[in-house]
Amino acid sequence: MTLDAATRWDIIDKISKETIAFGKYRHTLTDAIGELTVKPGTGIPIAIAILYGFWSIFGSFAGFFTDGFFVRIFDEYWLVWLQGVFPGQGGWLYAIMVDAGGIQSGQFIPSDNCLEAFGVLTSGIFVAIGVVLPAILIFYFMLALLEDIGYMPRLAVLIDTLLHKIGLHGYAIVPTILSLGCNVPGVTATRILETKKQRFIMMTLLAIFIPCGAQIGIMEDVVPGLMGWIMLYLLIGYFIFGFVLNKIVPGEAPEFLIDVPPYRKPLVSNIFKKVWGRLVGFFKVALPFVLLGCAIVGILYMLEVIDWLAVVLSPIFIGWFGVPAETAGPLIAAFLRKDLAVAQLSTIEMTEYQMITAVVLVSIYFPCVATFAMMLKEGWKELLAALAVLAVVVFLYGGLIHVIGILLGVA
Amino acid sequence: MAEKSPLAVFYFAVLGILTAAFGFAYLLVTIGIVNEFTYSLMEIPGDMFGGGWGGIVLLSAGLFYLMGLKDFNEIHQFGKIVMASILIWLLAGCDIFVMITESIPGGDEGWFNTLSGFIETYYPPYTPAVLLLPFSLVVIYYIYNRNTREEKE
Repeated sequence: MTLDAATRWDIIDKISKETIAFGKYRHTLTDAIGELTVKPGTGIPIAIAILYGFWSIFGSFAGFFTDGFFVRIFDEYWLVWLQGVFPGQGGWLYAIMVDAGGIQSGQFIPSDNCLEAFGVLTSGIFVAIGVVLPAILIFYFMLALLEDIGYMPRLAVLIDTLLHKIGLHGYAIVPTILSLGCNVPGVTATRILETKKQRFIMMTLLAIFIPCGAQIGIMEDVVPGLMGWIMLYLLIGYFIFGFVLNKIVPGEAPEFLIDVPPYRKPLVSNIFKKVWGRLVGFFKVALPFVLLGCAIVGILYMLEVIDWLAVVLSPIFIGWFGVPAETAGPLIAAFLRKDLAVAQLSTIEMTEYQMITAVVLVSIYFPCVATFAMMLKEGWKELLAALAVLAVVVFLYGGLIHVIGILLGVA
Repeated sequence: MAEKSPLAVFYFAVLGILTAAFGFAYLLVTIGIVNEFTYSLMEIPGDMFGGGWGGIVLLSAGLFYLMGLKDFNEIHQFGKIVMASILIWLLAGCDIFVMITESIPGGDEGWFNTLSGFIETYYPPYTPAVLLLPFSLVVIYYIYNRNTREEKE
């Protein structure tokens, strides 16, 4: 049986009259608040407030566990116990696994805190459990909460215009924020971007300008007063070099279409599942690299490779970047452990501005080894190109920060 | 729906001006134009995070209150008033959370704080955001009123 168009329309009318209720839709308060969060005039101050809350809770929660309890547990009990029971004090295995310590008048001087011991079982475990775990736990909890409430798509819409200037679109905010927890899931999340150009720009910017939760945790611990300046320099660099990459990288940066859901009450089970999944992912993928990195740093220090590199490269560090020669060692070791490199920097005597420069350099200088492995998984050509960009960025941006310091009279 | 609410408008106007003034004061203290400010029950933070970033948030909250005064009962305008209160709750909530996390560990004294040390953490002075918190809660009454009225309609 074939129906003509008029009959079909009649049937459609009949069905729609029976199934659809027509009425006047009244905007609810939730709708009104939803609209406020996507309009730039009101949405930007709200975004600033939400990010303030995010970082305030992050800092207080991580500080509560790390400074309040874990530092004590690890320094007063774990380190002391390991120093007592691990055999071969002063030997190479002891130095790699427990405590590199120091030598004074031929005598081995044991470290008095886990951060300076540089052993896999001391610094490695302390950073992973004592610093990173509370930091990424609260970070992923807050992120899951914002996702479940329905704020993240609104943030994506709000920031879309700005991110288009650097060849990305609003959803690039997801890998960016994820990377603040750990760069590894951030790199994986670049797959939500449509084109090769976008994925390359995003991956490169994440690897260079976004410090991970471990690094932020250590920065909060050792240079809390300089955090604002360090993050500001990284944010400015993110946009400057994103803009440049957008101009020079060939390819397309398409628009995106997004369905903004209404605000919803978050479900505890959803949040728990997301946090758990991300934590397990971090411990499975990133943690082995953290421990391995710690071991390799120890070996390189013992073989005096880092000291040698530090001597060779020190003219660049002093002359071009304007930081003391002693920072060369931590900056080179940062490839393996950015968090520990920040901790090492904090023990070197330098001006505030030099400290800001040095910590920014640690962040931008090279992706950590876990991120490096993840980028390799995304394609070796992209990795090589990203590294080439990175080398140029470190040299230019590091020099630029030094010049700014000279002009301000603080470098 | 075009019901007049002069008392509500007056209340939120005063609250908006006060909130914006405190936000401005945060920024002045942070920039260093005004020295660290502690008076009786109140202490204005002067660090870049609490004073600078927090000041912008508090200033925004004040401006949201003032922006929502015209046509107070119109849903989008009322949304601004509610959002202003939410911003204050967020700021005050963060400040209270800081107090809680500082009150429990014992520092050099021991694993946990003593009872007196724990209680002392909650003594004044408080930040303006915490002091404004109870006044911002009034918006809940207006949300409730509005919901009841809409249900009747």
